[in-house]
Amino acid sequence: MKGIPHEIAGYTVLPLQLPKTPTFPTPATHYLYLRPHEPRIPDPDSPRSLFLVNVPIDTTETHLRHLFGSQLSAGRVERVQFENIPTKKNAGQILTQGNVAKSKKRKRVTADELQNQLDDIELPSTYDRQLQKSGAHAVVVFADKPSMEASMKAAVKAAKRDVKIIWGDGIEDRIPPLGLSRYVGHDLYRYPDRKELLRTVNDYMTIFTQVAEARKKEQSRAAQEPDEDGFITVTHGPRLNSVAREEEYKEMVEKQKKKSEGLEDFYRFQSREKRKEKQNDLLKRFDEDRKKLDELKKRKGKIRVSFIPTKLSCMG
Amino acid sequence: MSLHTSKRRKLSPSPEENVPQVPNANGSNEAAKLKSDTVKYRHSSMNGTMKGIKNDRSAEVAFASGLYKSSFFKLQLDELLGESRPNYNKQGSRLHGILHMLKDLIECIPDRPSKPVLEAEKDLRNESGISVPFPEPRPGKETKYPMSYAKPSNVNVVGSFALRTGIRMEQGYLVDLAVTMPSSLFQDKDFVNHRYFHKRAYYIACLAAGIKESKGLSLDLKFGLQDGDSLRPVIILEPTDSLRSELASTKSQIRIITAVDDKLFSITRTLPLKHNIRRASSGEEPGHEESMPFYNGSLRSESTVAPYHKYLHLATQKCDSFRDACVLGRIWLKQRGFGSAFQSGGFGGFEWSLLLALLFECGGPEGKPILSNMYSSYQLFKATMQFISRRDLTKPLLCFGSGGSDIQFPNGCPVIYDCIRGTNLLYKMTPWSYALFRHEADATLKMLNESRDDNFENVFIVKVSEPMMRFDRVLSLPSSGNNNVLRALHEQLAIYRVISRALGDRVKLISLSSQSGELWSVETKQPRGKANGEISVGLVLDADNSSRVVDHGPSAEQKEEAASFRDFWGGKAELRRFKDGSILESLVWSDHPSSASVVYQILTYILQRHFNTTQSNVKYIGDDYDEKLRNAGSGILSYSSQGFQLAANAFTSLERSLHSMDDIPLTVRHVAPAAPLLRYTALQVPNGADAASEPVDIVLQFESSARWPDDLAAIQMTKVAFLIKIGDALDSSGAALSCNVGLENESSKILNNAFLDIIHSSGVTFRLRIHHDREQTLLDRQLKEKDIGPQAREETAYALSAYRRIFIQVPRLTQAIRTLCTRYPLLSPTIRLVKHWFNSHLFAAHVNEELIELLATRTFTHPHPWEPPSSVMTGFLRTLHFLSRWDWHQEPLVVGLGGELDQTTIEEVRTRLSAWRSIDPAMNTVSLFAASDIDHDGTTWTKHEIPPKVVAGRMSTLAKASIKLLREKGCNLDIFELFHTSLAPYDFIVSLRPKALKDRLPLATRFKGLNDQSTRTRDLKSTAFQSFIRDLQACYSQSILLFHGGEHSDMVAGLWNPQTMKPKGWSLKTAYSVSPKPSGDSKERSEDVSINNTAILNEISRLGTGLIESIEVHKA
Repeated sequence: MKGIPHEIAGYTVLPLQLPKTPTFPTPATHYLYLRPHEPRIPDPDSPRSLFLVNVPIDTTETHLRHLFGSQLSAGRVERVQFENIPTKKNAGQILTQGNVAKSKKRKRVTADELQNQLDDIELPSTYDRQLQKSGAHAVVVFADKPSMEASMKAAVKAAKRDVKIIWGDGIEDRIPPLGLSRYVGHDLYRYPDRKELLRTVNDYMTIFTQVAEARKKEQSRAAQEPDEDGFITVTHGPRLNSVAREEEYKEMVEKQKKKSEGLEDFYRFQSREKRKEKQNDLLKRFDEDRKKLDELKKRKGKIRVSFIPTKLSCMG
Repeated sequence: MSLHTSKRRKLSPSPEENVPQVPNANGSNEAAKLKSDTVKYRHSSMNGTMKGIKNDRSAEVAFASGLYKSSFFKLQLDELLGESRPNYNKQGSRLHGILHMLKDLIECIPDRPSKPVLEAEKDLRNESGISVPFPEPRPGKETKYPMSYAKPSNVNVVGSFALRTGIRMEQGYLVDLAVTMPSSLFQDKDFVNHRYFHKRAYYIACLAAGIKESKGLSLDLKFGLQDGDSLRPVIILEPTDSLRSELASTKSQIRIITAVDDKLFSITRTLPLKHNIRRASSGEEPGHEESMPFYNGSLRSESTVAPYHKYLHLATQKCDSFRDACVLGRIWLKQRGFGSAFQSGGFGGFEWSLLLALLFECGGPEGKPILSNMYSSYQLFKATMQFISRRDLTKPLLCFGSGGSDIQFPNGCPVIYDCIRGTNLLYKMTPWSYALFRHEADATLKMLNESRDDNFENVFIVKVSEPMMRFDRVLSLPSSGNNNVLRALHEQLAIYRVISRALGDRVKLISLSSQSGELWSVETKQPRGKANGEISVGLVLDADNSSRVVDHGPSAEQKEEAASFRDFWGGKAELRRFKDGSILESLVWSDHPSSASVVYQILTYILQRHFNTTQSNVKYIGDDYDEKLRNAGSGILSYSSQGFQLAANAFTSLERSLHSMDDIPLTVRHVAPAAPLLRYTALQVPNGADAASEPVDIVLQFESSARWPDDLAAIQMTKVAFLIKIGDALDSSGAALSCNVGLENESSKILNNAFLDIIHSSGVTFRLRIHHDREQTLLDRQLKEKDIGPQAREETAYALSAYRRIFIQVPRLTQAIRTLCTRYPLLSPTIRLVKHWFNSHLFAAHVNEELIELLATRTFTHPHPWEPPSSVMTGFLRTLHFLSRWDWHQEPLVVGLGGELDQTTIEEVRTRLSAWRSIDPAMNTVSLFAASDIDHDGTTWTKHEIPPKVVAGRMSTLAKASIKLLREKGCNLDIFELFHTSLAPYDFIVSLRPKALKDRLPLATRFKGLNDQSTRTRDLKSTAFQSFIRDLQACYSQSILLFHGGEHSDMVAGLWNPQTMKPKGWSLKTAYSVSPKPSGDSKERSEDVSINNTAILNEISRLGTGLIESIEVHKA
């Protein structure tokens, strides 16, 4: 395509030819935008990663390995992180680090490790191939930095020379197909084997109990050990959090209300005030109504009966 | 000052309390108290509101709340009155000149000497080309009485213009000019045999001749009929088109009516049942006894023009709000299609004014008045409605007369007899129009008494008389024309009697109407009975009886009755022996699905038998909606049909099996149905054990237990374990053919993850989910936590609303709708047809079924201004009508589902709506707002852009277009047009391969070597389709709006989001596939990107490989 810029906002624009289909024979070009990965909080992997924007919705890791490895023949891809899949390992690490600073190392780590294990147990997937959202991002982590740089260079070159790269060309047999067969497959996978399900559930529940026990132990230990300043945090019973407290508060208000019931008309001034209040209320409501009417008129025009002509006759 | 009044109130009874039974506006005591406080303000405030003088505001407030339904009601009423009153000052000054000229002119018309009829007629034709509008039967050669003309004894403006009781109308204003004919023209016996009417016709013709000769007035001269009464032709003066005359600028017509001195004919000779047509010899007037009340009434009304005008004038003087009440009445009548002409009910504005005026003096028990001069216009209106609805006027009401008790009145017709002036005010009303009239008054009274809505719009603004929304069945019959009012009356009476006897308790109301005559040129004879004259008959059916197949007649032993039965029904009547041993005359109608409705069968048969009308002559509307539903919805009409019952029975049996499971550690507390099929609202109904069906959702709740883990993800896992156990238990007990645990939302840890698909032994597939109420608390708690990120918060909020919907609201709604469906037999078919309408217009992806159900239910539980529908047609059209009027930007939908829906609930929902609107003014999350008495939340079915604002707008537009079409085409509307949707507005259309989807079951078994899969016979077409749609929605939520018609449609239409069509600056947040803008010739580097439509379409085509037939692109 002529006139397509090779670079936009710092991203290299890599055109990809999408394979034609019988139902939509118009040739289509997809544009992939890529640049070296520079996250706000760098991690050890980021120097050897590329940041991709606008991956096609059917992108798989295989696709990207194929793209960089064979089609651009540059770098070896180690792994791909897609936008829609939360990166659990990182989250776990951050959590660990945060906790390390605060309290005893060894015991904490066990509970959180167990927690990580727990998070990894998932119900079986119901699709053999996940989809990406249109316009989604992905981070491609290469084997090493040179692979990444070579891939980047190759992409820039391909973009400039208008090399024709056909998306997913030659790997059709390595990935599950899209379309009807994917849906038929889904209809099978969403009813996983009973044994597999049971195993997953049992694993999960076992670790879940372990986590709970570990937590409990840690807590009771924390309750006995003095902290840095030499104080022991006193805890008792199950922790009441804000929700539970709110309920309690509500109950109290109710009680109070019940108590004061029937005492409203005790003094004369009370009933007089009440009357006044009512009068004012009426006045207020009247004003509100008037406003409402004005609004209504503004919206619908005047309140007027429009005699809609209806065709009553049935013949002719 | 105020203290002073309140003291005085205690000492002297307020004048208010003397007024007999004030119809309390809103029934609250406090309002009554306030009312007495404000008696002294009364006058000033009345004048204040009328003349716009600024007055004490608090007085007005109190005034409004005491004497009106609500202050908002009053404000609307004032506004309506102001807009409806014609501008008398402006119009009056313009008309004044013309009317004066006309009066002078009429008074100058020279007398004409007496001549025999034929000669007089001929002379007039030769001299001025006027054809005398003699009513039928025309005077013949043997006519003895002569015709003559003499100067009128009086010419006066009468009627609503003079009294200022009329309303502004689009087609212009009618000014009545009454010409009193001198008594000298008439003889004693002129009231017999049309003599008076012949002389009157000649007189009118002479007036026409006189006006025609004077060239001064640029008016078009025509003959018309007064109130559709062919006995009384009148002159209508219309502004000519060519000249912009004074009259034209006021859009008015002048009608010249005649009057005679009220003493000309004695009252005793013109009593309703006196035989004054005595031409026995001619004998061609069958049943003229029936027409005597009309003939005599017509005569009497000629002689009461002046007295009633005076009487009404007096009423306007006595009561300040009389005029306003007249205006309200006229609006009310107009919206219900009532008019003075007998063809349109025989009760119009004049009759209304007169009724009010009479009720100031009588009408109550022992002749006491009903109304008081002190009433506000609203109170006058309401009290009159109350009178009409409560007082059965077929037992004659006599006014001012102690001696009138021996007067004979026609049977079955309403009578308000004014003994002083000798007229029956309601002489033009027929039994059917009176029944309809009372029915409407009753409905209005109910609306006014309802506290939860103010119903202002329903009482005054909504057009009630649109036949296809008012009646369950409409049919039109050819008629012999309107030329002879007495004959037309006779004809309609005969039809009414036959239809009402034939249909019996299948109908609640029968209404007949026809057109009142048109105008015709003064130079020609009245156009002869036109070929397209027609009578339209509207039926309000009784939903419980209308489709009964067997009618029982009298027993064979009751000879007389049996003979009459046979005579009436002819060959259709047959003698049958019934189970209880009785032998009865009976009728049997066909209930085969392919045959027309029973009502139609009866009508065609009986009309053919008694009136010889062939089917081709009769147009019959209403059945086509039933037909449409049958075609679209598995051939099923009623909720009690087999398909629904099968599912219901399967559920009951499964429920029993679930309760009796052994190996489950917790006891089952409750199993609730939660699917359209189980609340009789599914459009597609499986019709047998062999048919593969959509899974039917049910919800199971265990007794509460402390053994559940207190963690959302762990709860989901526990549910899986329970589901496996339940499946095992059902498998082993033999209640289910097979059970499979399935997964959903597997990428989320807080949404429901698993369900159990149970193929019940009856063939119905159930989908069971476990309801655990701890989830809600946990989600709530998580939502309130402060350190939760925005994305997690959104997810949690979504999970919470999903939880509430699936486990609380759907089962609740199912329960409520199920009950309502049995209470209103037409609710289920109406909901299903409305669903089909939504599907036909490809809304399935955007509108929850439950919302549609609420919309349709509203038509039944808030039927005002009609009664709950008794046919699919009325139910469907009224729902569309509501949709077309629903201002969803500002108004919530609040539906009563059989519980207590009171004003506070409505207020609460309103507050919630305005809160939503203020936090989300662009309606990005919630556009429609639908609550009910069991769900005050309002966003259960519409949150998260279901539908998005654009689609909601399109829904309104389509509903409006449908109603417009209905109004334009009337009964000629082809139902197909309402359901036809144009594909032109969509950007691309994806056609699916319907065939390819049916033969992939063998494929499924090949996929995995799972033997137990072979028992699964579910419809893979719909699951593949649903998954495909879900994928598309998930991938392209930002760039494409998808439209499809439910799982059974074979196409998907798409619209590019207009926001994405404009090129935009490059951003990481752009959530759709983009291509850079070609920089073209200019060297400028552009950073703009635009949506890559072709690539997206390519992706779609690859995603749907094997599903898609073709993709048609309108706009890329």
